[in-house]
Amino acid sequence: MELSPNKPPTAEPEIDTSHVEEFVEQLSCVTNSLPPRINIDAQSVEEGLAKLVLTLIEFIRRLLEKQAVRRMEGGDLSPEQIEELGLALMKLEAKLQELKEQFGLADEDLNLDLGPVGRLI
Amino acid sequence: MKLYVYCLAEKLGGLPSIHAAPVLGISGAQVDLLKVEDFALLVSEFDGDSAPSVTRDNALAHAAVVASVLNETTPLPFRFGTVVAEDQLRSYVTARREALKAKLDQVRGCVEMSVKIISGSDQADVPQLNETDEQGPGARFLNEKRRQILGSERRSEEAKQVAAWLKEQVGTYVQQEEVSLSQTEKLMVAAAHLVAREQVAKYRDQLTMARKMRPELHFLVSGPWPPYTFSNIELEFKTRFGVS
Repeated sequence: MELSPNKPPTAEPEIDTSHVEEFVEQLSCVTNSLPPRINIDAQSVEEGLAKLVLTLIEFIRRLLEKQAVRRMEGGDLSPEQIEELGLALMKLEAKLQELKEQFGLADEDLNLDLGPVGRLI
Repeated sequence: MKLYVYCLAEKLGGLPSIHAAPVLGISGAQVDLLKVEDFALLVSEFDGDSAPSVTRDNALAHAAVVASVLNETTPLPFRFGTVVAEDQLRSYVTARREALKAKLDQVRGCVEMSVKIISGSDQADVPQLNETDEQGPGARFLNEKRRQILGSERRSEEAKQVAAWLKEQVGTYVQQEEVSLSQTEKLMVAAAHLVAREQVAKYRDQLTMARKMRPELHFLVSGPWPPYTFSNIELEFKTRFGVS
């Protein structure tokens, strides 16, 4: 296939930045959280299911945290209630961390790409 | 024997080459031209049913094949790892002829440029809320969460403003755009712009000027690339056949 003489060649791709290391670090985070292709075998199904379930729990946990913070900011919680709520959410976070370690999942693994809607978390 | 599919384009004059040497595909496979309807597809014969593993070499080989036709025409790239039977591929292309033509019309004469923006400043300060030394661990935990949530909301708002500013700066040269905001704590904006080939130099110049206006932001500009972001061909393929 020869290039038509009337058509200027497209420039070679260039990457232009003064902050290479910073971008490599940030883009690695994004790449690591991309969903891998699913191979249907017993092991990967189990891992995929654990990841999906933990992602949904993480999503709900964050919603609960936000709701608790809103209520705290709204001033409708006594100091005792704030302490109690905070402790409950702290335990929930610790428990989820334990489960993540059990299944060998990192924080960035717990997300879902919802296509045009964006990412779940 | 199945086919590994790289991209679909309008009629191609022949097989792609780089400096007169044929471009090699995944695992060094020969790249063939498959003509279906009015389209040309670049494919390789592929042993096995599952997709090739995602390795650096395979990803670069896929990208090299797609990029090799970019000088002649703007292709619609398939997602990495698309493996199908030939009759399945022919059936897909025939059934989706009009939609594929419409997609090619959208990207004709264009390339994809990518802009990623990182905030150069540290996390925004969040005002404290009645924090005292007497607070227990539960209250301190909630206060820390409040700081994180508010910081995240501020970053999200800032990302929206930066995306709007970017659009204002280069919008004249952009035919289509896909923007995602706040992908990580620091990466605020990742934009893909579909730009007419003859406008790429002006687009770059405009972006260079714009970058000088915002020294607090760190930019990564790359391209021209084939229009991966604007093809979305893999999604349609999966929807139709339930495979990829």
